[in-house]
Amino acid sequence: MEIKSKSPEELLKERFGRFEKAVELGEPDKVPLAIFTCGDILRKYAKGYELYFNYDKAREVSVKFVTDYPVDILLAALAAEGFIFSLAFSNYPDIAPTIRFWTGPMHDALGDKYTKWPGRELPEDNIFQFIGGEFMRAEEYGKFSDDPITFINEVIFPRACVNLEKIGSPKANAALIRLGFEASRYLKYLVDSAMDLAKVGMPSLPITFAYTPLDFIGDFLRYPTGALIDLRRHPSEVKQACEALVEPIIKVALSLKPAGAKYAFIPLHLNEYLSPKLYNEFYWPTLKKIIVDLYGHGIKSFIFFEGWHDPHIETILELPKGWGIAYFEKTDVRKAKKILSGHTCIMGGIPPSLLLEATPDKIDEYIKNLLSEMKPGGGFILSPGVADIPRDVPHVNLKALIEAVEKYGGY
Amino acid sequence: MENLVNAFVNLDEESVLRIVKDLLGAGKDPFEILEACRRATTIIGEKFERGEYFLSELVFAGEIFNGVMKIILPEIKREVKPIATMVLGTVHGDIHDIGKNIFKVFAEAAGFKVIDLGVDVPPEKFVEAVRIHNPEIVGMSGLLTISYEFMKKTIDALKEAGLRDRVKVIIGGGRVDEHVKRYTGADEWADNAMVGVRKCREILGLGG
Repeated sequence: MEIKSKSPEELLKERFGRFEKAVELGEPDKVPLAIFTCGDILRKYAKGYELYFNYDKAREVSVKFVTDYPVDILLAALAAEGFIFSLAFSNYPDIAPTIRFWTGPMHDALGDKYTKWPGRELPEDNIFQFIGGEFMRAEEYGKFSDDPITFINEVIFPRACVNLEKIGSPKANAALIRLGFEASRYLKYLVDSAMDLAKVGMPSLPITFAYTPLDFIGDFLRYPTGALIDLRRHPSEVKQACEALVEPIIKVALSLKPAGAKYAFIPLHLNEYLSPKLYNEFYWPTLKKIIVDLYGHGIKSFIFFEGWHDPHIETILELPKGWGIAYFEKTDVRKAKKILSGHTCIMGGIPPSLLLEATPDKIDEYIKNLLSEMKPGGGFILSPGVADIPRDVPHVNLKALIEAVEKYGGY
Repeated sequence: MENLVNAFVNLDEESVLRIVKDLLGAGKDPFEILEACRRATTIIGEKFERGEYFLSELVFAGEIFNGVMKIILPEIKREVKPIATMVLGTVHGDIHDIGKNIFKVFAEAAGFKVIDLGVDVPPEKFVEAVRIHNPEIVGMSGLLTISYEFMKKTIDALKEAGLRDRVKVIIGGGRVDEHVKRYTGADEWADNAMVGVRKCREILGLGG
């Protein structure tokens, strides 16, 4: 194949350039193909347990994947949602970003009840799973809003992490020291993995992290359904709590700015649960504030619009042109393009289930049709939508995807 | 009784609970109160399918329904005959249950008897439950892409046990679609609770 003849340096420049050009709403030489995974597809090469507990194996597997499947960007998040820890340490920018995601050993150190892991609570060949829980009572909103960081450290952690049950106890102190050791190992893995990937011409994105305040409440404090019920029983308290979260969330995101972060990853969860009325009242105002503030600092948001975002899509136009990347899951990217073209970089377009079930011919045809509509004007990144790619996707189907992008993706 | 239906459809929790208590106090048949609440959930389902209501409204309606049931169930003396029985669970390897639980409330409100096996349910547990409860429907839920393989394995296990033809299988979850239906060999799929309940009625020939 043509790409084999290029040096890793050339490939790095070309692939990252392609991605950046699309984010800047331009037409690159070819539509970039990005793959996002939390480990499901990588179980082709190793057991789920190994991906999260053995950093050497995780490095090896990422390189194998991009060698077998030369995509433009691989986003391998082999660690679970742990934004609450970043937030709890948001006044310490040297610590906050290192514990944004939880790895298997960090889960061991904390004994958190938010996540379940292969080889621990789940079978060895599973992927990690975030389930969250209810760790705050509805009547505690006021205390939370007065000082979210202190409340999380002193009240939520003892409830949410077995090893932090008694703050200041030898057991809790040991857990935090272990977490620190592990964060340091994890950082080294991230740097090493980025270097491994660079050696085979695969760029890593300069990324930082933010969160939507209402999702924070749903994921880490009240459980998603609890937060939804609170919108009706305790609307003003929820609003106040969302407001109180804006500043520390921005602080976390900016903690990686000195390290060169250009994109702030924000996964949305409750968006598809909400009517436009509730979305515009409780969800969007604080999310918008965060996106606009980060944009002012030169950081573009990279948003996972999970599920079906159609009812809220027009609100994206309230953001400054070129604000970031809208990564869609079930929202039809063609429909999104009609509304957002020239304003927002759109990402997504491939249902993972298509890769699992269709034949290579069907995939070729699907990509051909999709790109004929999505390519004109640029500002598009092709990707299986937000969710993972199942391990059992046939090799020939992934090959067919990559070949189809080669065939039909050029400008 | 129409006040109750209206208050329920408008998700006015306080009024619903007050009216239910008032009706019971006035000696109304609790079974009729249950029927009124079921009518309300049907209307809520229709509003959802028309795009007037969203998942958050379903979650809250489920919460209200559970609140009403707590009050009236102990009062219902006669046997309530289900329209059909369903074995329901989140498949092995997946531990998410928000979608399953929303679906369960509305399936029960629609008159199904639901045997809920919980989350992370291995194929053999589904097989065993089908043997014991002899349901018309098996409902399999899953949030993650990893659930596809266990939906398929569960259906294969039903085939091996010679039970596949006895039941209709519906898969549900935010990430299932026609492709996943074909891959797993299910009879139907739904990516939200209300469509799921409607399809359960349809595959049994009970109308939408």
